[in-house]
Amino acid sequence: MRRRPPPLPVLPERFPPPFRALLHELLARGARARGGRDDRQRARRAVLSHSGTFVGHRPYVPGDDPRRIDWAACARTGELFVKQFEEEQRRTATLVLDLSPRLLVGEPPRALAVRRLAAVVGGLALRHLDGLTVVAPAAGAAAVVRFAGAGMLDALLRHLDDLPVVAAPPAAAIPLVLARGLSGRLHWLSDFAEPEAFELPLAALRRRGAAITGWLPAITEDHDVPRPGYLTLRDPAGGGELAVGLDAALAAAMRHQLALLRRRQERLFAQSGCTLVRWPAPAAGDFTLDAFREIVAWCAR
Amino acid sequence: MVCALTFAAPWQLGWFTLLPLLWWLALPPRPRRQQWTAHLAQWQAAHAALRRQPPRLRGLRLVLLATAASCAIVAGAGPVWRAAPGPSRLTVLLDASASMAARGSADTSAFARADQRLGQVFDTLPPHVDVTLLRCGGPRLRRLGAAARARTDLGVPAGTLDVDLPALAAAVAAQPDTVVWTLTDGQAQAQLPTVGALTVLPAAGPNAAITAVRTVDRWPLPGLSLAVDLVACTDAACRGTLRADGALAAAAQRAVELAPGVPITVAFELERSAAGGELRLQLDVQGDVLAADDAFRAWLPPLPAPRIGVLAAADTTPFAALAARALADEVGGSVVDAATGTEVGFLLVDGGVAPVAPGRVRALTFGSRLAADVDVVPWLQPRLADWDRTSPLCQGLDLSELRIDTAFRGVLPAGAPFLWGEDAAGDRTPLAVLVDGGATASVHFAFRLQDGNLPLLAAFPQLLRRAFVRCHGAAAALVVTTPPPAPGEQDLRTAATAPDRPLPPFRAADRPLAAPLLLAGLLALVLRAFVR
Repeated sequence: MRRRPPPLPVLPERFPPPFRALLHELLARGARARGGRDDRQRARRAVLSHSGTFVGHRPYVPGDDPRRIDWAACARTGELFVKQFEEEQRRTATLVLDLSPRLLVGEPPRALAVRRLAAVVGGLALRHLDGLTVVAPAAGAAAVVRFAGAGMLDALLRHLDDLPVVAAPPAAAIPLVLARGLSGRLHWLSDFAEPEAFELPLAALRRRGAAITGWLPAITEDHDVPRPGYLTLRDPAGGGELAVGLDAALAAAMRHQLALLRRRQERLFAQSGCTLVRWPAPAAGDFTLDAFREIVAWCAR
Repeated sequence: MVCALTFAAPWQLGWFTLLPLLWWLALPPRPRRQQWTAHLAQWQAAHAALRRQPPRLRGLRLVLLATAASCAIVAGAGPVWRAAPGPSRLTVLLDASASMAARGSADTSAFARADQRLGQVFDTLPPHVDVTLLRCGGPRLRRLGAAARARTDLGVPAGTLDVDLPALAAAVAAQPDTVVWTLTDGQAQAQLPTVGALTVLPAAGPNAAITAVRTVDRWPLPGLSLAVDLVACTDAACRGTLRADGALAAAAQRAVELAPGVPITVAFELERSAAGGELRLQLDVQGDVLAADDAFRAWLPPLPAPRIGVLAAADTTPFAALAARALADEVGGSVVDAATGTEVGFLLVDGGVAPVAPGRVRALTFGSRLAADVDVVPWLQPRLADWDRTSPLCQGLDLSELRIDTAFRGVLPAGAPFLWGEDAAGDRTPLAVLVDGGATASVHFAFRLQDGNLPLLAAFPQLLRRAFVRCHGAAAALVVTTPPPAPGEQDLRTAATAPDRPLPPFRAADRPLAAPLLLAGLLALVLRAFVR
């Protein structure tokens, strides 16, 4: 007799008021997020931020520097536009989000951690950089959305909150990222459960000079196994299932397999010249500063 | 066609109430959880590393186990698939009267053809059909089941058909699920059965028969008189021979001429052989289809050659010795002195004391005490009251002139009196008794030969011979071994006939389903072994 599969976990409220308060506090006291250039070129960027090669306009959003408003264009069109220069594109960051149903697994669900992690990283980028591109493969119209200015933090949170749960191969992110020109640091948020699937995308992006940071919210299931018993395990992404009688021997073998997976993930990023950050995902109701300080620290490096 | 599934032990189906327990026992061990995982590949690899097989068609395990249990339960209830309704019992009425031995125009007798037909049908009869075979005519026999199918010990055709076949067939056919099958030659029947199957075995033809044989046996003398009644049931007069042979000094043969339906009597005066044996009478008529009623057989006892011993008291007259001599001359024996150690075949005692066991010793005593301590009371001049005219000893003899001077009360043993005396008060008292011991007998008189005029009577020699014969009991009897001719079984020219009716189809055998169900259950268990 086939038992009905349990429903997929429902994500709790992603960004409750305590998290928003925490996020504002993090952004207010956090270190400056790194964009495409390092700190040694900060002075030069300050000079070039209002110079360089003019590449176009973009609509004004609250929070933009009023000095960058192109009043002539405003006089012609009646709407506010700000100028964009080449250096500005370099001072952006890109978030690539994995929306796979597999991330719904875990306690707390890894998808919740991914979205809050994206909110912190994106918020830091909006506050300290000039732009943020959020790439979510297979998300339809919301696959690529750009944000600029600290005033779009709420828009970023709404966007992250509205992203669907949909599976997409890692390679699907490459054309989305490269379509608008690769600029800034690329933050790839995923569980990297199939490291081999990320080899080609990471290599392709690295050939184009991308600096990639892999963010892996670590949950308990990544290193521990459930209680002994009769388990029917189901993969929410592939639909496969496996019934096992979990005992000590199988638990030990499973821990060994999880250790192998971690090693493969680290070897993947090491071979690609990228950084993999394992961020211990806090509990769904944990909004303490310490739980998220590591993100800020990593972004400041 | 009505088919139905029935159970021999339906209460066994109650075990189905344990199926929920089986389901509960078949559940996997607790705790049972379903869990989403992001590392299914790692789980599978860990499982494979331990060389564990993943469950395969797991949902079928309980289904197969429940199937096997259900099959076992239903099989235990004795399921039977009842076939189409129909008769399941066959009762055969086999006419085995004497006329069934007639050959008719065939080479074999009607009875042999009936037996062959029975064998053919029984060979093709479904094994579940319950067969009963009734022999009608002659000795009534009933064979059941396998004995009926094997037609065990049905005997030969003999006797008369003393049952009403149509009525018997109707009574048998009235029983539920029963088919009656009558096999007959139609002889001596007004009509044939109208119900059930019928097989008529015609055996019509001319027949001459010995209808009766009357014998006058003169044992212990060799003389034997036969009067043989013959009849010819033919359409025309016929000639033949009647031959007597066997235990005879010389065979005899008579040429006979038989008119249709007219009985005749052929007399034979024969002399038997001393050794005895079988006496055969055989009638030979050309074209006779029934040979069974053409023969007569009888067993003749051997003629005795006895040693007659005489015991006589000293004061008696020589009547005893003379009587013994006369008897020895008549039966071909010899007179011997009845001294101690002498072997005698017949003892004749006159007076005195003779320690003879009544009925166990062939003896003829006259006024003898059978034991020394017997008190005897003289009975002077008893008047002869009467004698038993039906007794084989006195039948046809005239004893009215018997005068007895003195008889003795108390000398007679217990036995069948055949001669009585009457005293002055008018009381009848036996004067002679016969003590029958079966194979032997003894005759005792209450007076001595010298105390009456019995030796002077003309009937005395005959009485002596009859006493001698009677004392030999059954050993002196002629035994007819041929069964008496069956009335109505001689005329084979007119027999009832009717068209044959075949047997109806019998009900097919019920099919027990226990074995297939057990196999199905076993198959389910085997399949379950491949389902993890």
